Amino acid sequence: MQKQQEKHSKELKKCRVLGPVATIFASSTTGSWRLERPVIDYEKCIKCGTCERFCPTNVIDVYKDRAECVVINYDYCKGCGICVNECPSKCMKMIPERGEE
Amino acid sequence: MVFKMLDGNEAAVEAMKLARVQVISAYPITPQSSISEKLSDLVAAGELKAEYVRVESEHTALSVATTAGLTGVRAATATASNGLALMHEILSMTSGNRVPIVMPVVNRGVAAPWTLWCEHGDAMAQRDMGWLQFYCQNVQEVLDLTLLAYRVAEDERVLTPAMVCLDGFFLSHSMQKTQVPEQRLVDDFIGPYIRKNTYIDPDDPMFCCDLTGSDEFTEMRYQQKYAMDNSIDVIEEIENEFEIRFGRKLHIVEGYKTEDADVVLVALGSMCGTAKYVVDKMRQEGKKVGLAKVTVFRPFPVKQLKEVLKGKKVIGVFDRSAGLGGQGGPVWSETSALMMNENCDIRNYVGGLGGRDVTIDNIEKIYNELLEIKEGKRTVHTEWIDLKENPMELRQVTKNV
Amino acid sequence: MISIKFYGLGGQGVVTAGKIFSEAISLYEDKYAITVPAYGHERRGAPVNTSIIVDEKPVLINSFVYHPDIVLVMDSTIIDKDIDISQGIHENSILVLNTEDVNVVNTYKKYNFKEIYYVDGTQIALNNIGRGIPNGSMLGAIAGTGLLTIESIEKAIIESFGEKAGEKNAKAAREAFERVKKM
Repeated sequence: MQKQQEKHSKELKKCRVLGPVATIFASSTTGSWRLERPVIDYEKCIKCGTCERFCPTNVIDVYKDRAECVVINYDYCKGCGICVNECPSKCMKMIPERGEE
Repeated sequence: MVFKMLDGNEAAVEAMKLARVQVISAYPITPQSSISEKLSDLVAAGELKAEYVRVESEHTALSVATTAGLTGVRAATATASNGLALMHEILSMTSGNRVPIVMPVVNRGVAAPWTLWCEHGDAMAQRDMGWLQFYCQNVQEVLDLTLLAYRVAEDERVLTPAMVCLDGFFLSHSMQKTQVPEQRLVDDFIGPYIRKNTYIDPDDPMFCCDLTGSDEFTEMRYQQKYAMDNSIDVIEEIENEFEIRFGRKLHIVEGYKTEDADVVLVALGSMCGTAKYVVDKMRQEGKKVGLAKVTVFRPFPVKQLKEVLKGKKVIGVFDRSAGLGGQGGPVWSETSALMMNENCDIRNYVGGLGGRDVTIDNIEKIYNELLEIKEGKRTVHTEWIDLKENPMELRQVTKNV
Repeated sequence: MISIKFYGLGGQGVVTAGKIFSEAISLYEDKYAITVPAYGHERRGAPVNTSIIVDEKPVLINSFVYHPDIVLVMDSTIIDKDIDISQGIHENSILVLNTEDVNVVNTYKKYNFKEIYYVDGTQIALNNIGRGIPNGSMLGAIAGTGLLTIESIEKAIIESFGEKAGEKNAKAAREAFERVKKM
C-alpha cells in the first residue's frame, strides 16, 4: 500500500483536463475587497467590545489586557465600516486603502 | 413622448408597468435580477397596482403567473439562463393552456461551464415550446417589442405566450437613450386584459388542463400550430398599427442594405447594431455587404426572410449559441431549410458565447470571408469565429495518479 | 463618434459614473450615448471598467470600446493590479486621472497620452460628501476636458442621486472641474 502511494506521489504530473475546474482560489481572502480600512485610536478606546460584537464577518478580537486591545484580521475585513458606525467612544475611523499592501 | 436613459431591464419594466400587469411572480437571477427588484419596488411604492407573489423558484414563478393568467388577469414574470431551463416544464403548460403571458428573457448561457453572461443558448433550447420569440437589437426595441408582444400574444387569433429576448449585459445593463410613450397612448394600444379562452372562476367552474387522449391531442397541438402560423400576419398588422401610434417602425425581418448586397449576414439580438455599423463601414470601402436582422424567431418568418435573401448566392448565419450536435446553430438550420430550393451557399458561424463580445473586427472578418467565398477565392470558413488557439489545451491540473 | 473607457475599483461607482455621464450627454446635451458595462466576477476592490460611446446620432455599435479616445482612471493604483489602462489608445487619446500627486502623474507619462488631466477626486469627495467615493468629482474632471459642460454633469448628478446627496456630489463635481490641471 505504502509503495503504491509512493509510486503515485512520484508520478505527480500536470494533466490536461476538459471542462471547468480550478485548483487555485484567487479571491478566497475577502480582505482584498476593501476600499477603506478601520483604524483605532487606542488612547480613546474604552475596550467595550462593541466593534467585536457588531462585526458581521467576525474578524475583530478585543483583548482587554493589551494596550493595542483591538485586533483586526485584515485578511478578511471587507471594510464595511459597521464597527466605526457602532463605536460608542468614536475612537475608530475609516481610512482609504492605497496601493498594494 | 419623452426621452429617458434606460438600461434594457429598466425598459422591460417600463413596458410591463405601461401594460399595467396585475400579478407578478418573478424569481431574481443574474442578469434579470433588476427586473424583479424594480417591479417589486414599483408595487411597494404603489406606482404599480399589482399583486407581487414571492416564489421560491422559476418553476413556481411561471406556474403562478400561468394560473393567475387563467383567472383573467395580465400576469407577468421574467427570467434568464438556468431559470428559463427550470421553467421548461411550465413553458409548455403556459402555451398549451393558451395563456398569453409576455416574459422578458435576459439571454445568458446555461451552465456548465458557469457563466453569468450573454448567449442565446437558453432561449434557443426552448424554441419549440410553443412560445413566440422576439429578439431585441437595442434598449428601445426592448420597450417597443414588449408592448407589441402584449397585443400579439393576447390577440384572439394567437393566444400564445411570448418571450422578449434581450442580450444579458449587452442590453440588460447597457444604458441607452430611449423614447418612452405616455401611459394614455399605451392604454389605447394595449387596453385592459380580457380573458378570451378558458378561465378559472369559482362562480363558473371549468377544469383546465385535463388529461387529453390521443383522439384529441393532435388536434390541440394543431390549434397551437395554427395560432403560430396566424401570428406572423398578426405581428405584421400590429407593427403597422404600432408605427402609426408611436412613430417607430418595427420589423419581423429587417433587411439592412441587402437589396444590392453581394453577401448577406443573418443575425439576431444586440450584435445586429454592431453589424449595421460594420455594413456602413465596409460599404464606404466599396464592399457590398448587407444584414438580415431577424427580430421574430418564433414563428420563423419564412416569407419575410426569404424576401430579404432572395437571389443571394452567399449567405452567412451568425448563431450566438453552439447548437451542439446539430449540423449548425439553430438559426443556420432554419435558414438552410428555408433556402433549400435556392441555389445558394449558406455558411454557419458560431460566436459570442458566454459573454464573449461580438466585435466589429469579428463581424468584418465574417463579411470578408463571405466575399472571398463569393469571388471563389476561398472554400472553407471559420465556423467558430472567435475561438482561441489551442482550445483543447485550456486547463491543466496536477493529478495524483 | 467618441469612445470612452472608465477604469476603477469595484465600489468606487464606476458603472454609476458611466450611467450619469451618459445621462448628461443624452438628456442635457442633445446627443446620444450608450454604456456597455463589462461586468466580471465583481466585488468591492476588484478592477472594473465600463465602455461608453458618444455620437451626434443614435449609436449602432453594441460592443466594448477597444480604442478609447478618452480614458478615465478613478483609482491610480489600478495599474498595480495588472491592468493596462493604455490598451488600444492612439496618438490623440486623453487621460483623466484621479490624483494630484505629481509623482503619480509622472508614472502615467510612460503611456504616452496626448494630454493628462488630473485632480484628486477622492479628496474632493471626502471634503464634499464625507466619503471617498470619487465618481461624482471625476465626472466634473471629465467636463474639464471640454467634452461636455459641467452644467450637464451637475444636472445629471442631481437627477441620479436625488436632491440631498445630489447637491453634495454636484458640488464635488464643480470643485473638481475648477481644480483639474492639464499636463
